[in-house]
Amino acid sequence: MTAAAPLLRTRRLTKRYPEVTAVDGLDVEVPRGRVGLVGANGAGKTTLFRMMLGLSLPTEGELEVVGVDVARDPLGVRSRVGFMPEHECLPLDQTAADVVATFGELSGLPPRAARQRASDVLDLVGLDEARFRPVGGFSTGMRQRTKLAQALVADPELVLLDEPTAGLDPMGREEMLALVARLGSFGISVLLATHLLDDVQQVCDHVVMLDAGRLVVEGATGALLETTGTLVLDVGPDRAALVAALVARGLAAAEVGGLVEVRDAGDDALDVVRDVVADLGLPLHRMTSGLTSLDEVFLTRAGSAAGPPGGPA
Amino acid sequence: MTGAVYDRGYRPYEGARGGQAAARAALWRATVRRALGLRRPWRQKVAPFVLLAIVTVPAVVNVGVKYLTRNTAASDIEFITYRDYVGVSNALLVFVALTAPDIICPDRRQRVLPLVFSRPLRGLDYVAAKVGAMAAILFAFSFLPQVVLFVGQMLVSTDGALTYLRDNAEVLWQVPAAVALLALYYAVIGVAIASLTTRRIIAGASIIGLFLVTSITSAVLVGPREEVETVRVGPPAEVDDGGTAGGDGFVVVSPDGTSQRTEGLVVRVDRRDPSAAPLLNVAGLPLILRDLVFLGHVHPSHPMSGLDGGGAMAVGVYVLWVAAGLVVLARRYHEVER
Repeated sequence: MTAAAPLLRTRRLTKRYPEVTAVDGLDVEVPRGRVGLVGANGAGKTTLFRMMLGLSLPTEGELEVVGVDVARDPLGVRSRVGFMPEHECLPLDQTAADVVATFGELSGLPPRAARQRASDVLDLVGLDEARFRPVGGFSTGMRQRTKLAQALVADPELVLLDEPTAGLDPMGREEMLALVARLGSFGISVLLATHLLDDVQQVCDHVVMLDAGRLVVEGATGALLETTGTLVLDVGPDRAALVAALVARGLAAAEVGGLVEVRDAGDDALDVVRDVVADLGLPLHRMTSGLTSLDEVFLTRAGSAAGPPGGPA
Repeated sequence: MTGAVYDRGYRPYEGARGGQAAARAALWRATVRRALGLRRPWRQKVAPFVLLAIVTVPAVVNVGVKYLTRNTAASDIEFITYRDYVGVSNALLVFVALTAPDIICPDRRQRVLPLVFSRPLRGLDYVAAKVGAMAAILFAFSFLPQVVLFVGQMLVSTDGALTYLRDNAEVLWQVPAAVALLALYYAVIGVAIASLTTRRIIAGASIIGLFLVTSITSAVLVGPREEVETVRVGPPAEVDDGGTAGGDGFVVVSPDGTSQRTEGLVVRVDRRDPSAAPLLNVAGLPLILRDLVFLGHVHPSHPMSGLDGGGAMAVGVYVLWVAAGLVVLARRYHEVER
């Protein structure tokens, strides 16, 4: 039954500290798969992870992780979920093989199976040859891989990755993201917390954006990029007339580098653009969907969410 | 580099999975391994195995002496008794000060606790595993030498092994009981103190410091063991000393009625009032409980001997220390933030 349950379901989830509200009335239902949890530092990502693992009690609201009610069965969640913290967290005087095997045993695997799994996942993350070396001598990239390996050793249904590319050089980052991208094909769901929207855009098929503990926007990555896409029009030299007409019809149009761009152009906007271009008798050389980035989505949505009522719920 | 690795694919795990109890047991095993230096560089193995050697030597010597003197008048000499042998070595205290910090401080210093508590474990499971591991090693290191002593003495006994076993059957429960009390106590106190800091050196020094300062304080409060007392002195023929009258020299009778023979007129007589100060001696407290297990009362040579309710007080202080240590640990390792 839990196999079909969503990765995460929250209802009015709130965590208040004396000084700050870290998570504020969060209502989401996130499907399984590779999900990006994005937001600036302090957006509430780490607090949400701690609540998901039952290590921090919500002030209000409900929280289900892979179909398990965290308040009722925190240990049940922890035996199904792997966790890779952002900070340094490895015992430095042990070998990678010992560290990962020990954490496998702590997740409930029998000792022999834990050692075998440790060997397998260290292979998987590319530490096969280094696994008998003490972690203290590892580079940042190797430590990140070891952290990922300990999260995967017990074959979890879900891994929570907190800033897995932090501190990595470009090549290390690409390799880490490639690993994360592969986890989906192993049947392991991923919740990737990061402030790097590029990482999410590269590997996640679903996005949850938080800002100051509140939900900014949530949805499939493709859909978010599409619905917030910018329409790019090439109508020759009479651009100013088109921009004026589009703005008069309520669209966010502007001249950009010899082209006309229409932001937040949905299906309705396409009809309006077609009609206006025809009315003005302009030649429509080209009409394409501009590639947006999640950064733009975030900046647009977070700006309106922070404003007065009317922003996204 | 990773491309070749990927080709091996990923195999899901479909075997058995344990829950909370398995996780706790796994943490216990990992801690015992760490404390014994297993799967660690040889330097880490030195302390535990040197300790084991140190605590086993008296048993081996005792059995050896028994064997060599087995058909002589000296064969009755008790080089060491089972009671003496519980907590005989200060090396055990040094081991606690070295090992308790090593099994607990790095977890906090290297921020491993979030990884530990992302497993199906509660804070109390962590405490149970760490204290349990420390106590198990202390138990083993105190109990194994006793086994050597018992089996050795049984085998070299001139009365026959079975007779020795029958005559000494009571130590079969006394030794494990006394050793268990001692192991639990030192483990809780050592681990609780170590939990208060992330620095091993500070934790170790604090443990040794507590043992030293309290034992010195207690010794100062108890005072010197002997005083000069000459009370009633006369030739043996004139003093009724319980049937030993007669012979040469003098007999000295102290106020409590005990008497001693002497050649001169000045003798040293143990005349000390019973004192509760040994209760302050953190390191020595379990030895009073040991005596309660072996003798049923405080040993006559102990400064607390003769104190009304001394045994019960010692048990009370023991329980207080263990409870205080466990409360500290439970608070330090409460994994859920509210």
